[in-house]
Formats: sequence, C-alpha cells, structure tokens
Amino acid sequence: MSDPILQLKNIRKNFDTFEAIKDISLDIREGEFLTIVGPSGSGKTTLIRLMVGMDEPSSGEIWLRDERIDKLPANKRPTCMVFQSLALFPHRSVGENIEFPLKIRGVDLQVRRQKALELLELLRLPQSYHGKRIHECSGGERQRVALARALAFDPEILFFDEPLSALDYRLRKTLEKELKALHEKTGKTFVYITHSLEEAMVMSDRIAIMKAGVFEQIDPAREIYSRPVSRFVAEFMGEVNLIPFKIAGKVLTSPGEIMLSKSVTSDISGQLKKANASCGTIVVRPEFVAFGKGQAADFSVEGRVLQDYELGSRIQYEVEAAGLGLVTIEKLRMDMFDGKPGDQCTLSWAMSDCHLIVGE
Amino acid sequence: MKPSYSTKIVLFAYGILAIIFLYLPLLSVSFASISRARYLTFPIKAYSFKWYTKAFESDTVTDLVIISLKVASIVTIVSMVLGFFGALAFARYNWRFRHLFQKVILLPIFFPQAVLGLALLIWFNSLGVIPTWKTAIISHLVWISPITTLIIAIRAYSFDSSLEEAARDMGASTFTIFREVTLPLLMPGVISAGLFSFLLSWGNFPLSLFTTGADLTMPEWLYAKMISGYSPLVPTVGMLSISVSLFVIVFAFAVAHLVRMIKQARI
Amino acid sequence: MDRLNKRIAYLSAAPILILLLVFFVAPLLVIGIYSIMPQKSFSLLAMPDFSSYSLIFVEGYLKSLFWSLVLAFSSTVILFLLCWPLAYAMAKIFNRFTLIITIAVVVSLFVSENIRLFGWLLTLMKGGLIEGLLRHYTGNGFEGALYNVPIIIFGLVYVYFPFMLFPLMQGIAMIAEDTRQAAFDLGATRWQVLREIELPLAAPGIVVGTLLSFVLAAGALAESKLLGGQTVIVLADDIETAFTYGQNWPLGSALSMLLIMIIATIAVFGISRVDIDTIMGRKRS
Repeated sequence: MSDPILQLKNIRKNFDTFEAIKDISLDIREGEFLTIVGPSGSGKTTLIRLMVGMDEPSSGEIWLRDERIDKLPANKRPTCMVFQSLALFPHRSVGENIEFPLKIRGVDLQVRRQKALELLELLRLPQSYHGKRIHECSGGERQRVALARALAFDPEILFFDEPLSALDYRLRKTLEKELKALHEKTGKTFVYITHSLEEAMVMSDRIAIMKAGVFEQIDPAREIYSRPVSRFVAEFMGEVNLIPFKIAGKVLTSPGEIMLSKSVTSDISGQLKKANASCGTIVVRPEFVAFGKGQAADFSVEGRVLQDYELGSRIQYEVEAAGLGLVTIEKLRMDMFDGKPGDQCTLSWAMSDCHLIVGE
Repeated sequence: MKPSYSTKIVLFAYGILAIIFLYLPLLSVSFASISRARYLTFPIKAYSFKWYTKAFESDTVTDLVIISLKVASIVTIVSMVLGFFGALAFARYNWRFRHLFQKVILLPIFFPQAVLGLALLIWFNSLGVIPTWKTAIISHLVWISPITTLIIAIRAYSFDSSLEEAARDMGASTFTIFREVTLPLLMPGVISAGLFSFLLSWGNFPLSLFTTGADLTMPEWLYAKMISGYSPLVPTVGMLSISVSLFVIVFAFAVAHLVRMIKQARI
Repeated sequence: MDRLNKRIAYLSAAPILILLLVFFVAPLLVIGIYSIMPQKSFSLLAMPDFSSYSLIFVEGYLKSLFWSLVLAFSSTVILFLLCWPLAYAMAKIFNRFTLIITIAVVVSLFVSENIRLFGWLLTLMKGGLIEGLLRHYTGNGFEGALYNVPIIIFGLVYVYFPFMLFPLMQGIAMIAEDTRQAAFDLGATRWQVLREIELPLAAPGIVVGTLLSFVLAAGALAESKLLGGQTVIVLADDIETAFTYGQNWPLGSALSMLLIMIIATIAVFGISRVDIDTIMGRKRS
C-alpha cells in the first residue's frame, strides 16, 4: 500500500462548548474514492471544511503527503471542493467559470480557453456551452460545469459536499455513475460527503460512517453492509433485523420464541464469551430471511404476515414474529410469498448470512 | 475564509467611529444650546438654560413649531395612504407596467430637492396659487410618498401571495380579503412608513425653503438664521427640533413594544 | 381572478401616479418651457428665443457646473471607499452591531441636514469644539478648518453617507457566501476575490449607491453655503439666485434643465441596469 495522500491526526473541532469533531484520525489513500456518510449534525460538513481549509481545527494535524497544511488557508492548498450549492459564479459564462482557476494563476487566454473546451468534452457538454450563461443551464449541466471548474484547478484531492442532493432521483443516479467513471478516468483522489448511503455505495471504494463527531466504521461498501460494527451502522445501511441475545453464565437467552440450532447456540455463546461480553446482536438483512423452513435453518420463528409493500423489483413484507416484534423481509418478485396479509408463516435464515455484533 | 479576530476588532472600531462621526456635530449643537454666552467659544465657560426659556416664550418659535407640526402630520397621513396603494402596485401584483412604475416611483427620490422645490414654486405661480404651508405639504408629498411606497413594498415582498389566494378560495370577496388579509399583513410596514414620513417631513428643509411662501418651518428658520443674522436661539431651536424627532422615535418604539407585550399576554 | 388582480394593480398605482404627474412631471415641463422663454419673462407664452441657454456659455455658469460635478464626483469616490468596509462588515460580519449601526444611521437622517451641518460649523470653526478644546488643553490652536473646498466635500460625504452605506450593504448581502468561498478554494487571493467576485456581484448595490450619492451631491446646496462660505459657487446656488434675487425665471429654468439633463442621463442609465425586485429582496420564483 502506498503512503496516504492526506492524513488527519487526532483532529478536534469545537464551536464554543460544542464538540463537532471528537478526535478523528484518518488516512486517505492516493487515488481512492472515499465517501464520508452520516446523518445531518454528525459533523461531516465541519470535517470537510477542515480538510479543504475553510476552517482551522481546534487541535490536531492535517498532512498532505509530507507537508503539514492545517494552518494553510483554502487558497493556498492544492485541493478544491465542489459545493453543495455548486457556487458557480452567476455573473460569468460557463467557459469563464471553468477558466476561473486558470485565470487566477495568470494562464494565457488561448491556453485556458483550450483547456476549458477539453473539459467540456470530458464532461460531455457541447463546445457551444462555452459562452452560455449559468442560469441558462439545467441542474445536471450545472453539476458538470462545477465539476469541470474543479478539474480545471487540477487539484491533488477533489472534495465534494453533497453536490447531488438537490437533483431529482433519475438524474442523481446517472450522475453518480458518471462521477464514478470520471474518478476512474482521471485517477484523482475523490473525497465525497453525503447523507445518502445509496449514493455512497454506488460510487465509493471505501465508506466512512460518521456519527456525532467520530467515525463508527471505515470499510468498503460490501464489508460495511454485511459486517457492521454497531447497531447504528447496521441500521444506517438500510433495512435490517436486529435480534438481541444475552448470556448469563453458560446460558444463552434468545428473545421471543425463536428457535436456534445447536451449532449456532454454541457458536454465538463462544464468540460472546471470547469477547467477554454479556450480550450481542445478530444482524440479518431482509433479503436473507426465507419463508418456510429451508435447509440451513439455523434460526426459525413462527409469525403472521401483517402487510406487504411493493418496491418495484422486490416486495417487502412486515411479519409479526412470535415475541420478536416486527421482522422485515424482502423478496424478489420471482420468490414471492404465496399468501396474503393475515396468513401464518414460518421464517428461517442461516447463520452464514448473519453477522454478530458483540456488546451493546 | 473567515475574517480573523483582529480584522473584526478593527471593523468594530470603524463602526463605532462612524457613529461618532454621525453624531459629533449634534453634540456640538447641544453644548452650544446650553452655553450662556451670546457668541459661542469652546470650552464653554458658563452653562445656562436661558435660551430654552427664551425660545419657549417666543411667539416666533411657537409659530414655527405649529406650522412644522401641521405640515408633518398631514404629510404623514396622506403619504401612508398613497404609499400603501403604491406598494401594492410596486410589489404585489404582476401587471404590465410594473417595472416602469417602479422606476418612475424612484425618480423623485433621485432628484435634487432644491431644484424640485424651485420647480414647484414656479408651477404654483403659473397656476396662480400663492405658496403657504399648504403648498409645502404637496412638495413634501412628492418626495416622501415614493419613500413610503418603498418601505411598504419591502413588507409586501415578504408576504406570501398564497394567503390571499387561500382567502379567495374560501369564498372571501375582494373587499373582505383586503380588510382581513392584505391590510393587517402590511400594517407594520405602513406604520413604519408613517414614522419615516413624519420624521422626514419634520426635518426637511430644501423643499420647504421654496414652497412655504411667507410661512416658515423650523428647519427653514434655522437656515435663514445660519446664513444671515445669526441668533443665539439657533442651537436651542435646533435642539428642540431634534428632541421632537427623538421623542417621536422613542414613543414609536415604546408603543411597538407595548403592543407586542399585550399580544403575548393574550396568548 | 388574474384580471381582477390587474385591475386592482392599476387602481392602486393611480393615486401616487396622479400626484407625481401633477406635481413632479408638470412642474418640470413648465421649467422646460420657461427655459426657452426670453430673458426675465414671467409668461409662458412669449416667443421662444433660447437666449438663456446661450447665456450659460457666456457667463460663469459652466464654472459652477464644473464645481458641482467635481464636488459630487470626489465625494462619491470618497464615500465608496469609506463605506465599503463598513457595509461589508454590516452585511457579512457583524450580527447585533449591524442593527445598532443601522438604527444610528437612520435616526441621524431624521435630523434636518442644516442642523447637522451647523453642528459641524460649531465643531470645526475657530473656537469651536475641536479647535477650542485643543487650544485650551495644549495651548496651540489653528485657524479653523472651514471655508475651503475639502470641507465642502467633507460636508457632502457626511450628509450622503447613509445613501451610499445602505445600498452597498444591500448589494454585498446579495453575494452568496459559497461563491466567495469557492473562489478562495480555487486559489484566488483576497484581492482577486474582491475584483473577480465581490465587486461584480455587489454591482447592483454599487450602482444604486454611487448614483444616489452623485446625483444628490450634484444638486446639493447647503454644504457649500454653510461650510464652504463663498469659496465656490455651485450650480444649485446659481439656480436659486436666478429664481429669487435675479428674478430671471428663464435663466434659472435653463440652468435647472442643464442639471436635470445631466442627472437624468446618469440616473436613467443606472436604474435601467438594475433589477429593483432583486435588490429589494423579492424571492425569485
């Protein structure tokens, strides 16, 4: 693994008495697409402002390769950001916006015009857009202009502050994919913040989940989805069923009337004992829960279907399971439950599809 | 890029300096008004309120106050009405000539008042009207009602036109909507516009100078005495004029505060 | 319903428009007609001879015009430089203090301008607040600071301070914070942000503020009379003299027309470039 391009070391940021960032350390790898995800108020915007240079950390260090940059203002740092509002200059044409960072450096008119045209092409905007006014562009076009402007700066790291949040669903989906492709094409390091997990999953190499000023987990999307380190991460990553277990002495108590196979019981108690924990949570995603008793039915429980919801390609069921409360199940249309709300059913799933969170 | 602490301190000091710059001359006037000497020199050797006593006993000063008050009060009432309707056309409705109207309304504000006063003097003369304090009301209105229009328009901009539509949807007539929705919502703007027009009319001098004929308002008398035939009453009458303005402002704020308290108490 | 709204709009606009038509447009028309009447005519029906306009060029009136414009121009430039930092701080940096300054400035507007100028007279004259106290405490006085051109400019700057400050503040408030930040982020220095982003985006406020100050200062009378003594004669002074002591209405009218034309050219040019709705805070639909 190459050296990190950007390193955060024990970063803290306080606003008066409020601790927005609590001791964060992070290594960003050269060329990766890292997304920081968190609910609003988790401190992700504060963090990106520190990384870009719009604010100074209260304590801690930021290193760009071999240079300490936490005291450098934004205009002295070789990084730049695409704003949530895009912050395009309304009094300048599309071309002038893209050329802005080059003009600032005193690049020749001819050279920068050439560069702007290249960038328009890279972002699949027609060359005729060079002279267009910003307010004549559609939402998606503005996104591309903002991107082109940031690329014209040729930053070491490109930061994104939820730039897609104002767009409609379909356009967002298209641009997510374009952004991922652009990342591959340019080979630059992208750091993206968003509150939308879907967005993060589609694009990123690694996702950092943020909660109340600290990172809960930093891993690739697949890893976070299937092996969340906490209930918060598990729930944040979408629909999930969480089943709490307690252990006292050697006896494992399971909630409700859930049936566990022998091997699973010893597996869970073993893991909990090893970690010296008195409780744990089994995480099972809705798509792994089966109707009926399958072959590897490590867990099984009786229940009654309460409601079904159409999700398009899938169907979601809410099942009242004996003593467990609601269990959410999602099935592809081809594996639909052949019954209707109100029917009794048996649910089962395999230990290999679950993940155990040890502790509270 | 946030301003540094020292930048903030410098700007803060600059703001304080600006306020001092605005009020320093008034400080001089207030000192002068309580100086015993007929011809003022600083530092003041003896203080006395004798010029205030003289001013209160003087018939001239009483006349000045009465005329200034009459003009300012009538200007206030009329300009509130004109400004209210003007603001509706300025900000509320989309009609064909709105942008033109907006620009026309701004013209008198952009116009040098002394020249406007002279033009009105000639106009009254051509119409055969002898200028008195009544013609001064009209000249004040030409300048002040555009200002009240602007002030009420600011309020009108911020109100949601769907409120009127909702009222209409519930079957309210145009007049009911006007009385129950439009007027109450614009009222704060109308009242502050009224305050502005009283104060601006009370203190106006370039328009009064040419359009009051033989009558004199306070600022006019002051100007005349400043230019020629200085009277030791000048600082005193000046302070009286300022005091009335101050009283009106304080009174307005007090009433506004009281109204807010009563409203809260009711809830 | 839309039709009804339109009718209300026309009806609402009518009263103030009638007022302005009868007491703003009509007087200016009369001035226009008087300006082409023969000298000292008090009738509007004499044979037009344009003699007043030729008089402007013969006698010293061009000098007065020159002074009016020079004074207005210098005070506008100084006002812009003085007000920009304060307007900036009020729009972007101060919180509560903005309200305090705003109230202080507005309240000062309500004091008759000649009282305030008279106050400066008392402050700056020999034996006034500054000189008197200085001599009392240090023993060294100076010859008062009055009756010269700089002091007239000072008076204009003082009186028209609010007319520059508030439009500038409004204009600066229109600069989106993100836009500035983005420019910094893209490597611009403070100076480049000012030139490339802040000045162009605050342009509507700048246009209104400079126009207002220039136009009002060009037609100002009291500053040069009270503070300047008779150091320079400004155009408004000549106009007043022609109408009052001179009893030469056609000449006064012609001089007024000259001033009006200059002001109108500048004002119309400026106002047509500015979207009033945006400046006054109408939300974009």
